[in-house]
Amino acid sequence: MGLDRRRFLKWGLGAAAAAAPKLVAQEAAPKLDRQAEAGEHAGCLVDTTLCIGCRKCEEACNRRNQLPRPAVPFTDTTVFRQERRPNDKAFTVVNEYVGAPSPDQSTAKQTYVKIQCLHCLTPSCVSACIVGAMVKADDGSVVYNPSICIGCRYCMVACPFQIPAYEYDAVLKPRVRKCEFCADYTKGTGADPACAASCPTEALVFGTRASLLALAKDRIGKRPDRYLDHIYGENEVGGTSWLYLTGRPTKEVGLLEVPTYIPAHKTESIQHGIFRYGLIPLSVYGALGGLMWFNLRRAQKGKTSEGQGGETTKGESHE
Amino acid sequence: MSDIRPQAMRKRFFTPGTMVLIVIAAIGLAFGLARLLNGIGAVTNLDDFYPWGIWIAVDVACGVALAAGGFTTAALVEIFGRHQFKSLLRPAILTAWLGYFMVAIGLMFDLGRYWNIWRPLFNWQGNSVLFEVGMCVMAYLMVLTIEMSPSLLEGMREAMAKENFIGRALRRLEKPVLFVYKWVKIVLPVFIVAGVVLSCMHQSSLGTLMVIAPTKVSPLWYTPLLPVLFLLSAMMVGLPMVIFESIIAGKSFGHEPDRALIGSLAKFVPWTIGVYAAFKFGDLIVRWKQLNFTERPDATIAWVVEIIGGIILPFILFSTKAVRRSKGWLLVSSLLVVFGMMLNRINVYLVGYYPPFSLKRYFPAIGEIALTAGLACVLMLLYRFFANYFPIVSAESHPGAAPAEVPHRILRPEHETVRPVLAWVFRGSAVAFLLGFVVLYSLVHAQAIQVSSKATSGIPVVNIAKKPTIDTSTLKHAQRPEAYRNLYVLNSSALNERIDYYEPVRFTHRTHDVNTDGNCAICHHRFAMGPDDRIGEDVKTLHASIEVRITGAACTSCHEDLNEKKYQKCSQCHSGPNESDFPARIGLKGAYHRQCIGCHQVQPATANAPTDCASCHHPLVPDHKPLLNVQANLELPAVTGRCLACHEQTGADIMKTAHWTWQGRTPEILGKEHSATVGLRNTLDNYDISLMPNPGLTDLFHVGDITQSADWKDPTKIDCLVCHDTTSTYRREPGKPAVDWKAVAEKAGRPSRVNCGSCHFYGGGGAGIKSGDLSPALVNPGPDLDYHMGKVDMRCQDCHLTKKHQIAGLSFNAPVVEGRAGCELCHGEQPHGITGVISRHLDNHVKTVACETCHIPYFAKQYPTQLSVDFSTAGQDRTGIPQLFGKPAYDKRYGEQTWGQNVVPVYRWFDGSRQNYQIGDKINPRTTVVLNEPLGDKHNSRARIYPFKVHRAVQPYDSEQNILAAVKFEDALWKDYDWDKAIGEGMKAMGASYSGKHGFAKTEMYTPVHHEVAPAKQSLGCADCHAPQSVSCARCHTNAAGMNQPEHTRKVYPASAGRFDFKALGYEGDPAVTGGRFYMYLKRGLPPR
Repeated sequence: MGLDRRRFLKWGLGAAAAAAPKLVAQEAAPKLDRQAEAGEHAGCLVDTTLCIGCRKCEEACNRRNQLPRPAVPFTDTTVFRQERRPNDKAFTVVNEYVGAPSPDQSTAKQTYVKIQCLHCLTPSCVSACIVGAMVKADDGSVVYNPSICIGCRYCMVACPFQIPAYEYDAVLKPRVRKCEFCADYTKGTGADPACAASCPTEALVFGTRASLLALAKDRIGKRPDRYLDHIYGENEVGGTSWLYLTGRPTKEVGLLEVPTYIPAHKTESIQHGIFRYGLIPLSVYGALGGLMWFNLRRAQKGKTSEGQGGETTKGESHE
Repeated sequence: MSDIRPQAMRKRFFTPGTMVLIVIAAIGLAFGLARLLNGIGAVTNLDDFYPWGIWIAVDVACGVALAAGGFTTAALVEIFGRHQFKSLLRPAILTAWLGYFMVAIGLMFDLGRYWNIWRPLFNWQGNSVLFEVGMCVMAYLMVLTIEMSPSLLEGMREAMAKENFIGRALRRLEKPVLFVYKWVKIVLPVFIVAGVVLSCMHQSSLGTLMVIAPTKVSPLWYTPLLPVLFLLSAMMVGLPMVIFESIIAGKSFGHEPDRALIGSLAKFVPWTIGVYAAFKFGDLIVRWKQLNFTERPDATIAWVVEIIGGIILPFILFSTKAVRRSKGWLLVSSLLVVFGMMLNRINVYLVGYYPPFSLKRYFPAIGEIALTAGLACVLMLLYRFFANYFPIVSAESHPGAAPAEVPHRILRPEHETVRPVLAWVFRGSAVAFLLGFVVLYSLVHAQAIQVSSKATSGIPVVNIAKKPTIDTSTLKHAQRPEAYRNLYVLNSSALNERIDYYEPVRFTHRTHDVNTDGNCAICHHRFAMGPDDRIGEDVKTLHASIEVRITGAACTSCHEDLNEKKYQKCSQCHSGPNESDFPARIGLKGAYHRQCIGCHQVQPATANAPTDCASCHHPLVPDHKPLLNVQANLELPAVTGRCLACHEQTGADIMKTAHWTWQGRTPEILGKEHSATVGLRNTLDNYDISLMPNPGLTDLFHVGDITQSADWKDPTKIDCLVCHDTTSTYRREPGKPAVDWKAVAEKAGRPSRVNCGSCHFYGGGGAGIKSGDLSPALVNPGPDLDYHMGKVDMRCQDCHLTKKHQIAGLSFNAPVVEGRAGCELCHGEQPHGITGVISRHLDNHVKTVACETCHIPYFAKQYPTQLSVDFSTAGQDRTGIPQLFGKPAYDKRYGEQTWGQNVVPVYRWFDGSRQNYQIGDKINPRTTVVLNEPLGDKHNSRARIYPFKVHRAVQPYDSEQNILAAVKFEDALWKDYDWDKAIGEGMKAMGASYSGKHGFAKTEMYTPVHHEVAPAKQSLGCADCHAPQSVSCARCHTNAAGMNQPEHTRKVYPASAGRFDFKALGYEGDPAVTGGRFYMYLKRGLPPR
C-alpha cells in the first residue's frame, strides 16, 4: 500500500510537474511582433483635444451600419451626463470628461473621447473565438462572421477594452456587435470609415497605422504643452489600430489602463505549449498506459503466485 | 463479500423524493423553454459586461469539475491498480457521463446560436482555449460512453432475459449488442487511459479560459497557474464526490455503503487536497504583493471562505481518523470539498470577474437559478433511473433481484474468448485511432500558430497609401441642392467628398471681418506662392520680411484691391486629411471647423458667434417621397395629416404661432403691453382695412385653410406646403390651376424666399403694394437690389431666426412679437471696423442711426409701391385713368391711389415701442389718425432713427362712435358700393357694433423699411445728410488739417436733397453742426462750429 501510494503521488505530481513549466512559460510562445507588419494596416487617430462632442460620428456609424435610430436624437448632448459604452445598437459612443484643460490652455475644459473597437493588432477576441468567427483581416480590421458564430460570448469575456456587445434580445440569430471598421465599405475602395469621414474637426484621421503614428508624434512634438507624450494604442495590449492623443492622463478620460503585453499570448502559449506536436498528451498517455500495464501485470502475477484462480477476469479482482 | 457485485437496484422509481426532483426539473426546463422562445435576455441577468453567468460558471465549470470523480476513480482503480475500489467505479463513471451530458444540455441554453454547436468540429481554431475545451469535452463524452457501455449493455442483457415487451424488442438486437459488448471489453483499457488524459486536458483548460482576461479577473484568483489549479482542484474533488454520492445513493436505495471501503478511499483525499493547497498557496505567496484585500470586500470574503471552508477545513477533517470512520462526518467533509471547489469556480468566473465600466454587479436571475437547479435534478433523476435499471451500484445481491435463469447464451458472453493477437490488434487500432486525433489536433494548433502570427488571408488588402485620387470636378453631393452649389457658401468638393447631412454653410467675409478687427491673417495664415503650391509661406513671415507687423488693423488699408483679386482659396492647400505629401496639414473640413470653432468659442456673447452646430449648418431635408409613401393624389387635410403623422409636435407648435393665431403677445405696443389679443384679427390697416371680414383675404394670407370658426382649432387645416413647397408650383390663390399636392408634398423642403414671399410680397393685394421693400423682386434679386439676398443668397430665416415655427421679426401691422431680428445679430454693434479711418465715426452713428437708415437709401426699387389710397372715391366708373409707374391712379374697388418707385424713406425716431390701432379705439376724425405710430425721440437713448414708408389713406369710420370701420369688400362693397351695408357686415365679422352712419377719416400707416439693403458702396455718404462743410476732419482733429477726404463731402445721392429733416427729428439743425448725441456720449459738450 505504501509503495503504491508513493507511486501514485509520484506519478500524479510528475504529470503536473511536467505540465506546469510549460503552462507558465510565456517565453515558449512564438515571438509575434505585429508592430512592424501592422504599419500598413488601416488605422485611425483620435485627437481628443480636437473633439467637440458633436456626436456626428455616432450618427454616421448608426446610418452606415443601419442600426436602429435611438430615442434620443444625436443632437442631444444631455447624453453626456453619464458615461456610455458601445452596445449592440451603437458601435461607437462619445463620452464627456470634465477636467482641467491642457497646460497651454489651448483645449477646452471638457474632453470628449470617442470609444469603439480599437482593432487590436493581436486581438484577444480573435484568439478566444472558438470557431474563428472573429477575424483579424489583412487590412487591420477585426471583423465578425455571424454565420459560424455559436454565440458563446467568450470574445466579450476576452476583450480587454470591454467592447463587443451582444444582442441578448434576439431570439434565434443573436449577433455579437461591434465596430468592424466599416470593413464592408472601405474594402478595396480606400474610402474612409463613416465616423472618420463625418468628423467635422478631423479629430478622427484615417490612414495607415505607420503614417498615423508619425502624425501623432509630429503633433506631440510641435505642441508638447497640449498633448501628453503618450500615444494610447501604440503599445497597449501589443498595439491597436486605433490610436488616441490626449491632453489629460488617459485613465481620467475613460481610456482603460491595460498592460502592454498581448493578453492572447498568455493563453496561446499555454495552449500551444501543451498541444503543439501533441507531445505532452502523448507522453502522459504513454506514462499512464505503461503504469496501467505494469499494474495489471503485477496483479496477474500476484494472483498466479498466490494461486487464487477464482476470478479470471482481469478487471474484477478485489483485495 | 464475494456476492457484492454491480446490480440493478430495481426500486420504485417514483418516490416523494423523485417527485420533488421532477417538479424542480419541470420548473427549470420551463425557464429553459422561455429562453428558447424569448432569447437569452428575457430569462437571464446577463449584459454586455457580464456575458457569462451561472449557466457557465455553475452548469459548465462546476459541472465538469464535479464529474471529475469519473476520471480520478478510473485512474485510481485501473491505472494505479487499486482494484479494491472497483465497486465505486461504475457509479463514478455514470455520474461523470450524466454530468457531461448535462453540461452539454446546459450549454445549449447558454449559447446564443445553439444550432451552430457543431461548428467547432469543422471550424478549427487552435488558438482558442474554448475550442480545446469544446473538442475535449466532446471527445471525453464519447470516451465516457464507451466506458459506460459495459454497464448499459449488461443492463440490456438482463432486460433481454425478461419475457416482456422490452425484452422481446431487445432480443432482436441481441447479436449487435453482444458484438459491441465483446469488443468494448477488449479496447476499454485504451479508452480508460484516454479518458484520464482528456480530463486532465480540459479540466485544466477551463482554468486557462480566464487567463485571457488579466485585467478583468481579480488578482485574488488571476494567475497563469489557473490551469494547474483547476486540474488539481478537479482531482481533489473527484474522490470526495465519489464518497458523497455513494453515501447518498446508499441512503436513497436503502443499503449501507461499504464504510470501510469509502473510509480507505478517504485516506487519499488529504493528499489530493494537500497537493492542490501546496500549488494554491505557493502561487499566492509568489503573487502576495499583487493581492489587494481591501479594494473589493465581497471578493475578499468569498476568497477567505473558499480558502478556509474549501481547503483548510476539509484537509483537517479528512486527515482525522475519526472523521474517516464516521459516515456523517465523511458526508460533511466531502460536501465541504465539493463546496470549496464550486466556490472556487464561481469566484474565478463571477465573483472575481470585474469588467471595467460595469455599473452593477451580476446576480443570477430566477430563470438562471431555476434552470441550473432543474438540470441538477434531471441529473439526479437520470442517475436514479440508470442505477435502478442497469447494473451500476454494487450491493449484496439478494435473490429477488438476481436475474433468473435465461435460456439464451447471452448470459455468458465473456466466455467467448478472443485470440490474444486479435485483441492486441483491436487495442492497437484503437490507439491508432486516438493517435490520429492527437496528430490532427497538433496540426490544428500548428495552423493556429500560423494564423495567430499572421492575419487570415482571403480578405483583400486595402492599400491606403495608394488611395485612388477622386476626380473632384465630377463629384457631386447627391443630397445637396443643386441651386446652392455655386453660391457664396463654404462648399467645396473637398468637403463633399466626405459624407455629411448638412447644407453648406453660408459664410460671409464681411461679418467675420468685423469680428476679427479686419485681420485677414487669422484665417489666411499662409500664402500659396503659386497655383501648385499646397504648403505656402507663413503670412506673418512674409510681412516680417517687409518689416510690416500684422496687427488688428485692416488688411484692406494696404491691400485695397483685395476685392478685385481672387482670394486664395482654403481648398488650394487644404483638401483631404493626412495627405502623404504633408501629413500634418489638416483637411478642408477640419480647417474650417477648427478655425471657426476656435474663434466662436472665445468670442464674447455680443458678437453673436453661435457655438451650436445648427446655427451654421442647416440639416438637409431628406427626400420626402419614400417617407410620404402615398400612391393616390391627396387633398389638403390628408396632406397635412401625413405631415403631422411624423412631425407629431409640429401641429401644436404651429397653432401657437402668430402665423396661425393672428394674435398674440405684443409687449412693445403702448398701452397693450400685457395684452395677448392684439393681432390681425382686430387691427385695421390702410390697404385692405381689415382681413377678417373678407374670406378671400384670410384664405390668401392665413397659413391654414380657415373657412369657419371651428377651423382655428383644427390642426389638419394647417397648410404645411404653403411654406415648405420647393417646386414653386404651389399657389393658394383662387382661380389658379389645381395643385398637384402629391408632387409638392414629396418635395417638401426648407422654406425659401419664394415661400415667405408668396404672402409677404403681396401685402395690400399686389406685388409690393404694402411693403415697398418686400416685393417679388426679392425672389431673384441682383446684388444692387438687395445685397444679402442677391449676393449672399440669404434666406428669410437666416435673419428671421425660427424656433418651433415661431419666426423672429417685427411687423408693424401684424404686431405679434416672436423674437427680434436685426442687423446687429450678425454685424455686431461696431460693424464699420474695416471701413478705414472714419470707421469710429460710423460706429458712433450706430448708437443713433439704425443700419437701415444709411444702407437702404431707396426702397421699392423694382416694383412700385402704393403711397396713398382714398377709399372715399371708390365705386366710380372712371375712364382715362392715368398710369403712374405702370400702375393705375384710380381703381374702382379702392379709389384714387398714388404710387412710388425708388422711394426715399421717411425717417423717424423709434425705440421699439409703438402705438397700434385696434378696432374700437376712439379716433379724432378731424385730425389724421396714425394707425401704428413708431415712438421715441432723441432724448430716449434706446431710440434710433429708422427709415419708414408712410402710407396715407382716407378710410371709413363710424361717425357716431368715432371708431374706424371694418369693411367687407367681397360680395358686399364691391357688389353695389353700399358703404353702410359693407361696414355693417364688416363690423359684425370683427365683433364690433356699427351705428349705421359712416364718414371718412384721414389715416396714416407706418411700415418700417428693412429689406432691399444696398451694397456698402451705395449706402448714404456723410454729405447726404450732413452739411458738406461740417464733414471736415480738421474741425475737431487739429492735427488733421489738410487731410480731408473729398469723397466725404460729396453727396452719393445728390438728387434727393433734403432727405433728412433734422428739425422734424427734434434737432435745432444738422447735428453735425449743432451737436447731437455723439457729443453726449463723448461728453464733449457742443461740437465746434
